[in-house]
Amino acid sequence: MTNSNSNVHQASFRDPSGYMFHDGGTLRRVINPIYFPQYKKLTDSGFYEALIKNELLIPHTETSVSEDTIIITPEKIPFITNPYEWSFNQFKHAALHTLKIQKYALSKGFILKDASAYNVTFYKGKPIFIDTLSFDFYEEDTPWRAYKQFITHFFGPLVLAKYHGTEVFKMLQTHIDGIPVKLIASMLPGKSKLSSTLYTNIHLLAKMESKHSEDYKAETKVAKLSKKAQSNILESLFDYIKKLDVKEATEWGDYYAKTNYETAAFEAKKELIKSWVNPLRPQTLIDVGGNDGTFARTVLDTVPHVIVTDIDSNAVDHNYKQIQQNNEVNMLPFVCDVLQPAPGIGFNNTERNSLIERLRDYAPDVTMALALIHHITLSGNVPFEKSAEFFAKFSKNLIIEFPTREDSWVQSLLVRKREFINHFDFYNENEFEDGYKKYFQLEKKETVAGTKRILYLFKSK
Amino acid sequence: MNFLYFDPGLGAMIVQAIVAVAAGVILFSKNVMYKIKAFFGLLKEDEDTYDSIDIDEQDTDTHDKQ
Repeated sequence: MTNSNSNVHQASFRDPSGYMFHDGGTLRRVINPIYFPQYKKLTDSGFYEALIKNELLIPHTETSVSEDTIIITPEKIPFITNPYEWSFNQFKHAALHTLKIQKYALSKGFILKDASAYNVTFYKGKPIFIDTLSFDFYEEDTPWRAYKQFITHFFGPLVLAKYHGTEVFKMLQTHIDGIPVKLIASMLPGKSKLSSTLYTNIHLLAKMESKHSEDYKAETKVAKLSKKAQSNILESLFDYIKKLDVKEATEWGDYYAKTNYETAAFEAKKELIKSWVNPLRPQTLIDVGGNDGTFARTVLDTVPHVIVTDIDSNAVDHNYKQIQQNNEVNMLPFVCDVLQPAPGIGFNNTERNSLIERLRDYAPDVTMALALIHHITLSGNVPFEKSAEFFAKFSKNLIIEFPTREDSWVQSLLVRKREFINHFDFYNENEFEDGYKKYFQLEKKETVAGTKRILYLFKSK
Repeated sequence: MNFLYFDPGLGAMIVQAIVAVAAGVILFSKNVMYKIKAFFGLLKEDEDTYDSIDIDEQDTDTHDKQ
């Protein structure tokens, strides 16, 4: 087994307990001797098994055990989404998930030694904890060391979203270790000080942090906290977060209630998509700009893994709720702005991969882009050739819908260009095909019955 | 042995004592309110799909006993 430095996972260097590495196409985890006592206790006591059984922690198998390394192989997660790509309820559930694990750990004599939002991702329709080595022994009467991290990674962003909308989650792109407590406090309205939960967990925390920030000699005064008291903190945070809600109305939230075509055309589009997707027998599919997953759901029973992204957090949230209600295990929704996909962030810009890198690794068999190109081209001013280049980076088969100039939505977008409307004369079928043919081969082309829209199937060159 | 690879924040360690007191009061009053609401039949169903903070110990305990 090779685990030379070049194969070490780029986000795996902070925790001395071990690291992840790529063994060919498989991601494995090395455990260093420093973590052996913890690992053995967590395994032998049945703690890992209980968490795995309850679908809280990613399952793993022991691959090899020697005197100086233990290697475990976690179950493969097809696609990793990051906190700044989650909808409100996804973020909320990831937070609740972390608290639930910490409370259980505490009851069994362990703790979560960190509470990073990157330790949670979405798998089989639910949040899952992925850092198997995040546990440590609980020392009697010690406060939770990861408490501040929980506030900066989870509680703060969620509370900010309540007041400012889910746009604040994007702040995590520039703050990989969570939003600073002081900044969270400054962004909350004055009335938030009246809530005892917000006052103590955020405002007071911010005050205490700046008061003790100059403790250069680390003359740590022993801070004590009973197990029951810590458990109370966890429970009250859990209750508070569970009740959190976000109030924001967006343009797209109820998109399908105001489409510009008839129910019959809507059904025709569904049938057409099904009849094109099924013969391709895809194992993986991504619907870019897929709203709440309505069209992706038409092929959900035949495709083992489906990703749906949308710029609108509300649509993604609606999709996530449907997944929970229908117990769908092969659908993964996340928020993505095609005009500004998530960059690579962190140390060396490689700790968290960019969206394009992740999509390239995922290599979907089918990419769908329905009712999207007019937004990219007309709202985003992106030439056809450029958007084709974007899709070509990760697509094998591209099913793309082209609303013609006669489509009412295209017309409304064009009218908004006012005196520059003539600059968009290139928006037509021929220019579109020419642009896309630079990267793709045209396989099929068909007008969606009852609409002014054309569906294309392209194959990558 | 605990080893720490990030700064937990001294202020954050100290503040937890106060946070816990507030949390204790909130949880206590929540229980009281729960009992009052239950008495008058005013309990509402939870809309959120995430279940409770407690793990279903039944399936974990059966394993422990085996």
